[in-house]
Amino acid sequence: MNPVLIVDDAAVIRTYYRTILTAAGYPVAEVGDGVDALEAALQQPCSLCIVDVNMPRLDGFAFLEALRREPVDQPPALVITTDRGDDIAGRCRRSGANAYLPKPVRPETLLAQVALLTGGRA
Amino acid sequence: MSRLLDQFLAEARELLQGIATGLMQLERAPGDGDAMNALFRCVHTLKGNSGLFDFPEMMRLLHAAEDLMDAVRGGSLAFTPALADRLLGAADLVSALCDQVERGGDTRGPQGEAAVALATSLRALLAPSPEEGTRPLAAVQPAIDLPEAALAAARVHGGGEALHFLRYTPAADCYFSGDDPLHAVRQAPGRIWGRIVAPTDWPPLAELDAYANRLGFELLSTAPREALDRHFRYVADQVTIVPVPPPAPQADAVPDLPALLATQRATLLEADRPDWHPGRVRAVVAVLVNTARQLGRTALAEQLPALGEAFLRDDDVAPLLAAVDALAAHQAPTPEPARAEEPAAARSSLRVDQARIDRLLNLVGEMAVARNALPYLARHAARLDGGRELEREIKAQHAAISRITDELQAAIMQIRMMPVALVFERFPRLVRDLARKLGKQVDLVLEGEETEADKNIVESLSDPLVHMVRNSLDHGLETPEERRAAGKSETGRLLIRAGQEGDRIRIEIRDDGRGIDPARIRARAVERGLIAAEAAAQLSDREAVQLVFLPGFSTAAAISDLSGRGVGMDVVRTAVERLHGDIALEGSPGQGTSVRIVLPLSVAVTRVLVIESDGQRFALPIDGVVETLRVPEADIQGMANGRVIVRRGRIVPLRALNAALGVAAEPRRNSAGELAILVLQRGDEQVGLIVDDFRETLDIIQKPLAGVLAGIDAYSGSTLMGDGGVVMVLNPRRLW
Repeated sequence: MNPVLIVDDAAVIRTYYRTILTAAGYPVAEVGDGVDALEAALQQPCSLCIVDVNMPRLDGFAFLEALRREPVDQPPALVITTDRGDDIAGRCRRSGANAYLPKPVRPETLLAQVALLTGGRA
Repeated sequence: MSRLLDQFLAEARELLQGIATGLMQLERAPGDGDAMNALFRCVHTLKGNSGLFDFPEMMRLLHAAEDLMDAVRGGSLAFTPALADRLLGAADLVSALCDQVERGGDTRGPQGEAAVALATSLRALLAPSPEEGTRPLAAVQPAIDLPEAALAAARVHGGGEALHFLRYTPAADCYFSGDDPLHAVRQAPGRIWGRIVAPTDWPPLAELDAYANRLGFELLSTAPREALDRHFRYVADQVTIVPVPPPAPQADAVPDLPALLATQRATLLEADRPDWHPGRVRAVVAVLVNTARQLGRTALAEQLPALGEAFLRDDDVAPLLAAVDALAAHQAPTPEPARAEEPAAARSSLRVDQARIDRLLNLVGEMAVARNALPYLARHAARLDGGRELEREIKAQHAAISRITDELQAAIMQIRMMPVALVFERFPRLVRDLARKLGKQVDLVLEGEETEADKNIVESLSDPLVHMVRNSLDHGLETPEERRAAGKSETGRLLIRAGQEGDRIRIEIRDDGRGIDPARIRARAVERGLIAAEAAAQLSDREAVQLVFLPGFSTAAAISDLSGRGVGMDVVRTAVERLHGDIALEGSPGQGTSVRIVLPLSVAVTRVLVIESDGQRFALPIDGVVETLRVPEADIQGMANGRVIVRRGRIVPLRALNAALGVAAEPRRNSAGELAILVLQRGDEQVGLIVDDFRETLDIIQKPLAGVLAGIDAYSGSTLMGDGGVVMVLNPRRLW
């Protein structure tokens, strides 16, 4: 299975996701901002991107839009953010995300969403 | 999960540092959009991280700070030094809460209360909004303060109405004041859910007071806040009312397939056609393919990519939507999480407990010592019959092991190297706060922050440097008026510069303040009885200013609240010397002051020269040794205060090691009648130590002395030699 790419500038959040996902058997890769994420996603196919919105250099929306412009196999994307506001879910969808979860996310919620997006196993 | 907490704390400290730096950057350039965004992101990330834990007080303060920064960013609030002060104060408070958490506590207590109070006062700075009264709580405490059962009830109820959560903890003696808590709760307006909360710490039955209330109540109500306040007005002090955040559609609901498919459907129906639209559609198709496989609809899974491409070509979404609906109609079993099939992708960096690296370093040090035994072994072999061959082999092995050990040691040392920036980054804040407090204007210049040294060195530098920075601001730099009167620019300049010189690190702290008056220093030292008047008069100005390093010396007429507290530069010198460093001060009246510190890059391994005196071996750190000499007795001259030699036009005072250590034996002469003299650098001057003989140089691991020996400052430690002997390491600074 290709790794789940975790994109979040907070290392503690990445550790949290990684701990949950690796315990459930998912291979993971992680990066700290949108620029590195784009590079990673183009270099190695991933089975899912988990993306934060507010990040240095390139934010989550800009990263997703850039990724969706690339002529590569498009992985599903899950946005997890503390950003609220009107129609945050719609904003995520329009940028190319396939699902949105508010941060902080519970382990069981994360696992259920990741399983749905990746089809359980690839 | 404590590893997660450790990481949170480490990251929080970095973010807090970023916040402090950003605030000060903004203070200098309020229009700097990049600095503003970076600052906002730090606050935002820290708030987000704290949401992983149950730190409501910290979260609340950070949320207030974030909203405030948002208002500044949006232009509705001006960025002023006063505002910066408040926000720096908030950062300090969050830092204190982190300390509290690190010590194993939570964020409650006085600090927590202070955080909540500060959050409230920060919010007061924001333009009042119509929902001001409820917004902070509603926004800040989504899932934290409310019990899970209440949240579940709120979800079941749906998001249509504003809900309030109410906790009523009746006083123990409530029955005696005529309250009927159960009745009050039953009659509460708009109650849609409620429960009785029993304490977990019941006293033994015999001690139970049947007339004291120990129960509490929690309920959810659809009634407006005013109605609840009115209903509970007689027991308002025992009631907490919190608005329940409207449940976000997916906030706590476990994501399910229908919701996922609905989202994909909505994306396909989006009317906009940005240039990433094709990618967006293909991602939706990828999700649908995964879903179809999961549901066992392999035929559909194979058709889906073609349907997607058809949609992109013809802009006709109907066939794709039909496929989505077909999947939605299928009853989905709950998918199981995937099992590991491949190892996790490699990560580029790794956090390691420092103790593990220290253990490695200790081991490689022991290895270096063990290696030192090989030359003894070789010498021993040479004395055997036909041992020449063996000696050669041992020497070859020694060379190979030496090389590997050295490389290993260097590699481990490299791990421990840290930039001095870790210490320097405190200074902008320190200087800013001190300058404001003292009414001075200071331009702080930091140079060479990227210079690296061993972690211990960098960390131990912190206190001495802070002390000297305080000294500079307090005593060195003048007020704007004084500077104007002296013909200087009103803003003083403080330079802190680090750089590497060979295997030493040099740090300089230079200000352009009022400088140092050697005459006053002499007078003060004499007055304090630190030096005799005649001796003081003999000192050059350069030597005289070094007197400030003597214990008990303080140049400030009044002990200042900032740098004072009765400790002076002697503490700084002691700290620097403990790290085997040197410190020197330069300055003249009106010309500013400069303090230079030179430290080794690492303290773990010391290169020493082994010497012999009165039949005993001693070791001396080689970095202070200028040269070793054999001097005929005739070249030694007697002067008023002892024996000296003249080297390159300089007078080098001599002292016998035996005398310094209180040994009665006279220094030994060699067959040519010469004395062995070790010339050492001490600050700006050179001194000679008379010993019996010189031996080899070695890399050693110094062990600190323990017990009664620890009090003898002529020794800095001891070490184990390759032949098994123990050798004392001399502290050359304390032999005079």
